[in-house]
Amino acid sequence: MFDKVLIANRGEIALRIQRACKELGVATVAVHSTADADAMHVRLADESVCIGAPPAKDSYLNIPQIVAACEITGADAVHPGYGFLAENARFAEILEEHEITFIGPSAEHVRLMGNKIEAKETAKKLGIPVVPGSDGPVSELKRARKLAREIGYPVLVKAAAGGGGRGMKVAHSEQDLEIAFATARAESKAAFGDDTLYLEKFLTKPRHIEVQVLADGLGNAIHLGERDCSLQRRHQKLWEEAPSPALNQSERDAIGATVAKAMQDLRYRGVGTVEFLYENGEFFFIEMNTRLQVEHTVTEMITGLDLVIEQIRIAAGAPLSLRQEDIRFNGHAIECRINAENPRNFRPSPGTITHFHTPGGLGVRVDSGAYAGYTIPPYYDSLIGKLIVHARTRNECLMRLRRALGEFVVDGVETTIPLFSALISEPDIVDGNYDIHWLEKHLADG
Amino acid sequence: MTKKEGSFDKDLVRELAALLDETGLTEIEIEHEGKRVRVARSAAPVVSSYLPDVSGPEMREGSGPRGGRDEFVVHPGTVTSPMVGTAYRSPEPGAPPFVEIGSHVTVGQTLLIIEAMKTMNQIPSPRAGVVVAILVEDSQPVEYGEPLVVIEQG
Repeated sequence: MFDKVLIANRGEIALRIQRACKELGVATVAVHSTADADAMHVRLADESVCIGAPPAKDSYLNIPQIVAACEITGADAVHPGYGFLAENARFAEILEEHEITFIGPSAEHVRLMGNKIEAKETAKKLGIPVVPGSDGPVSELKRARKLAREIGYPVLVKAAAGGGGRGMKVAHSEQDLEIAFATARAESKAAFGDDTLYLEKFLTKPRHIEVQVLADGLGNAIHLGERDCSLQRRHQKLWEEAPSPALNQSERDAIGATVAKAMQDLRYRGVGTVEFLYENGEFFFIEMNTRLQVEHTVTEMITGLDLVIEQIRIAAGAPLSLRQEDIRFNGHAIECRINAENPRNFRPSPGTITHFHTPGGLGVRVDSGAYAGYTIPPYYDSLIGKLIVHARTRNECLMRLRRALGEFVVDGVETTIPLFSALISEPDIVDGNYDIHWLEKHLADG
Repeated sequence: MTKKEGSFDKDLVRELAALLDETGLTEIEIEHEGKRVRVARSAAPVVSSYLPDVSGPEMREGSGPRGGRDEFVVHPGTVTSPMVGTAYRSPEPGAPPFVEIGSHVTVGQTLLIIEAMKTMNQIPSPRAGVVVAILVEDSQPVEYGEPLVVIEQG
């Protein structure tokens, strides 16, 4: 086991990692920017090192400063948390060169999954289902017709050079395809000077469902079930739950087994998440996150496992202590991200928290570094805490969430709490009947 | 760098504080039985401008460590560390230090070196003047923004 872990992050996740280290009897080093000198992760760590000015590039993303902080404190491992340097393969390599352990996968796997095209190819090779498409440019309408028939309508005709929705057309039937193909080609030529097109299956109302994996790099890998993170705004998850209200046990077992097998074959190490779009009983790979995720907590609640402790043990060289049959899913958990933002327009609301009271009681967990008198710096993301509730059934969980939201007091800044209080009365939310477009549509209609 | 340790000798701190008053110094640091104690007081008018404004939503500027755990005096002539690393007062072990208290320095003159990731970084003086305090020991780890040397316009 490590003697001392440096946590190269801030906020609630730095605190979360510290808790795991303390339970493992490992000393902790907090690093911080000058803007975070009063932060809770700094106050509660065994040691702290100020590593730079407030902008992340000068502090939390400053690799030489973080390595120097390891050197002066004698830390033998670094936990990168999420965001910042968590998926920076170069950082993992530099630490390795300095004989410091990066608590995460190999630099090679971080790099592989960080490249969208390589990640998709790798997933496909490993037997993970991907969005069916043309796998390359399509130049003739005749070939597009044949491919679309194989993929199944609706299909998306996309410009290879595209972006921002330009050069992108949906064809719902073979009749649409000719027009979609011609328009996409013309738009692409006009906008990008390149009329290379390709074809992909179009998902109309997918859910975002992701599978949590735990692997030891020695060929052992298990899955810890799924999380449903469909409630998003501008690709930002706001509400996550486990298990997904949309899956049944056999679908869960099947996709879990596929992912676990893939991770065994890849000889992946650490925690990771394979993200999918899910529609009509089918899964389509989006990407793999080679790190701990914000919403790992809901998986912890239903499995009773501490993912960070497992992650640190594996990084220290221990083999997986659990087999797939040891994993039991117990009840239901929901996480709400409490952001310092206006709950309607989501404008960030930095400032000083005057009152802070967190809910409690059975099945209620709050992961947060905030406190009364804490000033939220304007330099970083707006997440100030996570409210996680766990209960035996989804219905009980919703009742508990409603109760816990009512107890949560954050004064002095605006937060997303009122948004969640409103969402919990929506019939679609109560029924678990939502997709990745639901929240944005609901906000636009509201 | 902040290290939390169990107990501390309150009487020793009182004694040192009394000594500060007696001598008119702003800071005393002693090492005793493996423990280092530093007692410092602030030059009031300077420090107040670094206190956070809790009345409004404005953020304070990030300008060096502050708050209860950093007891450091903020002096207009304080040279702070631009990086995390280990401070050395002389170019090599056994060599005379770059500067001593009372040394006259010119702009750009090396005050210390800070080693980080096996590279030696010279810390140049930003001003001409007289070194009135040296706040780090040889081989001491320093963090970003940590006060190193105080130079008064001479």
